[in-house]
Amino acid sequence: MSEIIDRPRYACALGGALFTLRALPRTAPIIHASAGCGYSLYGALSAGAGYLGGGYCGGAAWSSTNVVEREIVFGGEERLEEQIRATIELMDADLYVVVTGCMVEMIGDDAAAAAAVFRDAEAPVLAIPTPSFKGDSYAGYDMALSGLFRGFTRLGAEKRKDTVNLLGLVPGQDAFYKGNLTELKRLLEQLGLRVNTFFGEGETLDNLRNASEASLNLVLSDRYGIKAAQVFEEIHGVPYRVLPFPIGAAQTADFLRAAAEAAGVGTAAASALIYREEDRYYDYLERIADIYNDIDLQRYAIVAGDVNYAPSVSRFISDELGWIPKLTVITDQLNAEETAKVQSRFSGWESGVYPLIKFDPDTSAVQRYFPLAWPQSANERYYDSFSPAVVIGSALERDFALQYSLPLLTVSFPVTNRIVLNQSYAGYNGGLSLASDLITLLMSWR
Amino acid sequence: MGKKIIRQVAIYGKGGIGKSTTTQNLTAGLIEMGKKVMVVGCDPKADSTRLLLGGLAQKTVLDSMRDSEGDVQLDRIMRTGYKGAKCVESGGPEPGVGCAGRGIITSIGLLERLGAYTDDLDYVFYDVLGDVVCGGFAMPIREGKAKEIYIVASGEMMALYAANNIAKGIWRYAQKGGVRLGGIICNSRNVDRENELLRAFAKELGSWLIYFVPRDNIVQHAEIRRKTVLEYKPESNQAREYRSLAQAIEGNEHFVIPKPMTQERLEEILVEYGLMDLVEDYKI
Repeated sequence: MSEIIDRPRYACALGGALFTLRALPRTAPIIHASAGCGYSLYGALSAGAGYLGGGYCGGAAWSSTNVVEREIVFGGEERLEEQIRATIELMDADLYVVVTGCMVEMIGDDAAAAAAVFRDAEAPVLAIPTPSFKGDSYAGYDMALSGLFRGFTRLGAEKRKDTVNLLGLVPGQDAFYKGNLTELKRLLEQLGLRVNTFFGEGETLDNLRNASEASLNLVLSDRYGIKAAQVFEEIHGVPYRVLPFPIGAAQTADFLRAAAEAAGVGTAAASALIYREEDRYYDYLERIADIYNDIDLQRYAIVAGDVNYAPSVSRFISDELGWIPKLTVITDQLNAEETAKVQSRFSGWESGVYPLIKFDPDTSAVQRYFPLAWPQSANERYYDSFSPAVVIGSALERDFALQYSLPLLTVSFPVTNRIVLNQSYAGYNGGLSLASDLITLLMSWR
Repeated sequence: MGKKIIRQVAIYGKGGIGKSTTTQNLTAGLIEMGKKVMVVGCDPKADSTRLLLGGLAQKTVLDSMRDSEGDVQLDRIMRTGYKGAKCVESGGPEPGVGCAGRGIITSIGLLERLGAYTDDLDYVFYDVLGDVVCGGFAMPIREGKAKEIYIVASGEMMALYAANNIAKGIWRYAQKGGVRLGGIICNSRNVDRENELLRAFAKELGSWLIYFVPRDNIVQHAEIRRKTVLEYKPESNQAREYRSLAQAIEGNEHFVIPKPMTQERLEEILVEYGLMDLVEDYKI
């Protein structure tokens, strides 16, 4: 018997693929699915991603075949051809990508054959199967990227030793993906590397087209982007390396050393960069010393989020702010290997202070595990309440935070209570943002 | 007097076993008894009513849905054939595209909306294609549709395999609704000890062999002329057989939830009735 997931923090594969394409410059997705798929996914993901909006082609105006019963019974390939033709005519784009919903995949529509009709079109037309019965939006990111690496990225490019691609930050599911990619690219470029992030500031489709020049793919996630990196390795012969998503000085220093070593640029360059960046980082961070003491010094923290944010935010709390992470809930659905990998991120911290770690996709899990992390009141005369404390999670932690009168900072999907523009939580700048957001929250909470 | 209940009957069986031929001749027999019958062909090939209509020139339910923007009239898809038999073909997509199963669901839904199930009908027959490959092909036996199922089989092993599989499907639906197996109809292939084998098989399923239709080339002769045997040679022995089948169906009160057997048990029965050599031939 299957179990339900209480308020999942992701949409379906089609949604993940759409938001991946939405983040690509001058790219028009063409949805081959029932009416409603595109709009509901746009609504769900845009709001959850800090009001990301529709992008170049407009979420509410995404091209869609809106198949009805007639196409389900007789097949929807002709309808898809018609829609591709109309989209090319009406939407000015440099890349058209057909993504598919469950129903057309179940009846076996051959979207690739429909796309192939347009092989002589001015801009390439690709078809990528993204049925949602194959996974969640994180899986959709991998499906979309894999399809692009197979069908759009140039074959047989000459490798450049200094070029790397950055994978693992899922547009939309990571509301801060653009700021994060920009910050990580800024740092890697200072190691003398050319970096393709595909979705960050200043990127064009050429970054994706020429990604096969890279000598290395860096995957900043224990789950997202790994399958795409494997496809990349298979098609373009480029190896990949998985590193944790870095937040703040300690994690970013680890990241830069590992990236420098993997990319073969030498650790000296990394050490020099770390020195420069830390100098700047701590110059800013020390400003919070007074207020840090003034607002109860040390805090307890509860963290809930995906495999990228939950471990890295927890370590930032523990290693950089010197607070006490009590409970961390990782909200993805993971297999045993992925679980072990994420679990291993909770080791080797400088503070030696670790939270109780739980893997559970249910939103109510935070509430359920909290008593294990902190003894609940049994009406004792002197109960040591869970205070001062902070919750760092998603908008879904709001009820829990309210129940215990705890301040809540939303960093992982869904981030519906903030507008996210260029903010970042990755790297040095991201660490400063997280520290300043947390302290600001506590001050305004007083 | 209560509302008249239409007997809705689904005919299943292995592909090529003679479901359509049997259904149409049976229909002709019932019509001769004064019954009002509608036959709904549930096969994308749309060849289930050819003998009653004297040809294939029928617009299917799904054709009309494809061609018109939702403005489908019943008289465009329902034709009247032999002695007033109402004939409808569900139709379906071209081979290799779309979803024929969904087509059947759509088609039956459309027939209901258009008011095809009129009170004057005594019987509705669903002639379903051989391989019940997905949920759509089980649509005729879902709740509110056919309550009676007959499986057409012969003494050939693969026909019995298929019949046993169909019984599994009926068993599944019978747990939740009123669908029941009315019996096995043997469309003889002149296999040795066929009658006994089919009786034993039906008994093992908890059902019975409701009728044994002997093999007669007159059926093929009638088919070439796009006629049922009852129309082509009303006085022939085979026509009498089909009339008897119609009477057996009309008088049937033996409806059961089938007890599908394991492959091992099925093969035991086959061995017992002398099909062992054939079993070896069929091993892949």
